Amino acid sequence: MTLFFLSSTISYELSQKVKNMPDITLTQMRAGREAFVKEAMVDAVLEIEGVTHAYTYIKAPYRFKDDTLFEVVGVDPFESFYDPFINTLLEQNTLESGSMLISKDVAEKLLKAYYTKDFNFITPSGELKNLKIAATFATEQKPQYRWLVLMSKEDAREVFALQADEATTLAVDVANKLEVPLVANKLQELYPNAKVVTKKEQQLTYENIFNFQSGTFLTLFSVTLMTFFIILYDKLSGVSSEEKREIGILKAIGWRIEDVLSAKFYEAFFIAVFAYLSGLVLAYLFVFYAKAPLLGNIFLHDILLRSEQFVLEPHIEFFYLFLVFLLVVPLYFAAVIIPSWRVATLDADEVMR
Amino acid sequence: MIRLEGVTKEFDGGVIALSDINLELREGEVVVLKGVSGSGKSTILALIAGLSKPTQGRVIVDGKEVSKLPDHFCATFRRENVGIIFQRYNLIPDLSVSDNILLPLYPANMPKEILLERLEKELKAYHIEDKKDAVVKNLSGGQQQRVAIARANVNNPKIILADEPTANLDEKLSREFIEILKELKSQKRTIIVATHDPLFFELDFVDRFITIAHGKIVDDNT
Repeated sequence: MTLFFLSSTISYELSQKVKNMPDITLTQMRAGREAFVKEAMVDAVLEIEGVTHAYTYIKAPYRFKDDTLFEVVGVDPFESFYDPFINTLLEQNTLESGSMLISKDVAEKLLKAYYTKDFNFITPSGELKNLKIAATFATEQKPQYRWLVLMSKEDAREVFALQADEATTLAVDVANKLEVPLVANKLQELYPNAKVVTKKEQQLTYENIFNFQSGTFLTLFSVTLMTFFIILYDKLSGVSSEEKREIGILKAIGWRIEDVLSAKFYEAFFIAVFAYLSGLVLAYLFVFYAKAPLLGNIFLHDILLRSEQFVLEPHIEFFYLFLVFLLVVPLYFAAVIIPSWRVATLDADEVMR
Repeated sequence: MIRLEGVTKEFDGGVIALSDINLELREGEVVVLKGVSGSGKSTILALIAGLSKPTQGRVIVDGKEVSKLPDHFCATFRRENVGIIFQRYNLIPDLSVSDNILLPLYPANMPKEILLERLEKELKAYHIEDKKDAVVKNLSGGQQQRVAIARANVNNPKIILADEPTANLDEKLSREFIEILKELKSQKRTIIVATHDPLFFELDFVDRFITIAHGKIVDDNT
């Protein structure tokens, strides 16, 4: 159950990350490292046929003092071609220069450091950049924005010490999605040193990560399943002498075969359903409250190496719950009922001896 | 009331437990089956209770040929007519005293009030009221024996079969058990005890002593 929770949550989270991305993102490379893009590149990109939007934004992690990574995003407050969540935030709030919109989780972190109305970011040169908290927003439905801090591009530039014409990323939207690879090629030709990544490529990268996790998942799941089947086989291959005696006693005092089987059925039903539900609750608590210690590291290792912000938020796929139910409950029933039936059909006079 | 006609019982492996047994027991009789271990006493009880089928011959109880009843009807017959007291009590160790006593009645789907009424009666009769919620495995041998008797009696059976009932009891508890048997006889139950305990051989309320040896009746003392 734990494995299914982990696997489906990772899969869901990764798919959500891709869903709201622009068609193409471009980052500059310098000496093998990501460098900043220039605002002037926007006009050049807009010249490419098929491009509907081209815009820059600043997106970078800011390390809070308890090592939490806030995701600082600098945008143009009057534009509306960012991802839907950010667009909605910009529509519902006024983001003035010198202020910021923060998630409730970020607000809680700041509150613990006694910041209630504003916060002083420490810039790379060691100076303080004060920003007022304009509003906070909830992220229960969108956990991927849990640590989002939204501010104007100008403020973000000051926080990260960027030049006035610099941004971290250039985003490009293309009208005809079939033309995305073509536009990406043109961008690459235009900026040979840049890293141009299409949404599809990003999706493949995430899928590769997930496929790797799926391999781990399958290995662990196979071992778990094998152990379960060995236990079942052991149970199916014979009733213990104590159970045999118990069935003999019940028959001797007037229980019919169907009475014995019905009692065994209720017993097995109670045990199987109780075990299933307990497993479900414990796995849920282990994954989503305890954040899957040890096991989570195995699954998230590769993702965390890529410095992705990743939070295990509850996401349950009922198909998998049903699958586990089918794998566990009916098989356990069979393993209890079949041997009990075999014993119940024998003469009960053994208990007289 | 109970008739065994030419009954032979052969177990797998060719062991002959009973050989051409003819026996008739009347209603309300107290019968003691004597004999050494392996003589065939328990087999007679198992055949009367319908727990086992004879290889040859017929077992007729109250006009019903038990030896021909299918398993389903045998179980119902036992539930309605027979109470069995086993040598090792054969209680379910993890259940409470109350549950053990009521076990024979559970499949009958009786109303709860009747179940409680029967339970109270048995607990009182065998002085184990204070143990009703105790788990059976925590009781002494004597107390377990009382629970086993209460269970055998809870369905008001016409026939009570006791297989070596005092084998695990000391003399004091054995005499207590004999007093209980006397009480059951006064309730007009037909009682058959298979034992080799000499305490039973001097009892004045026993109607018949039947000696079994090598699967045959060698003596029937009325």
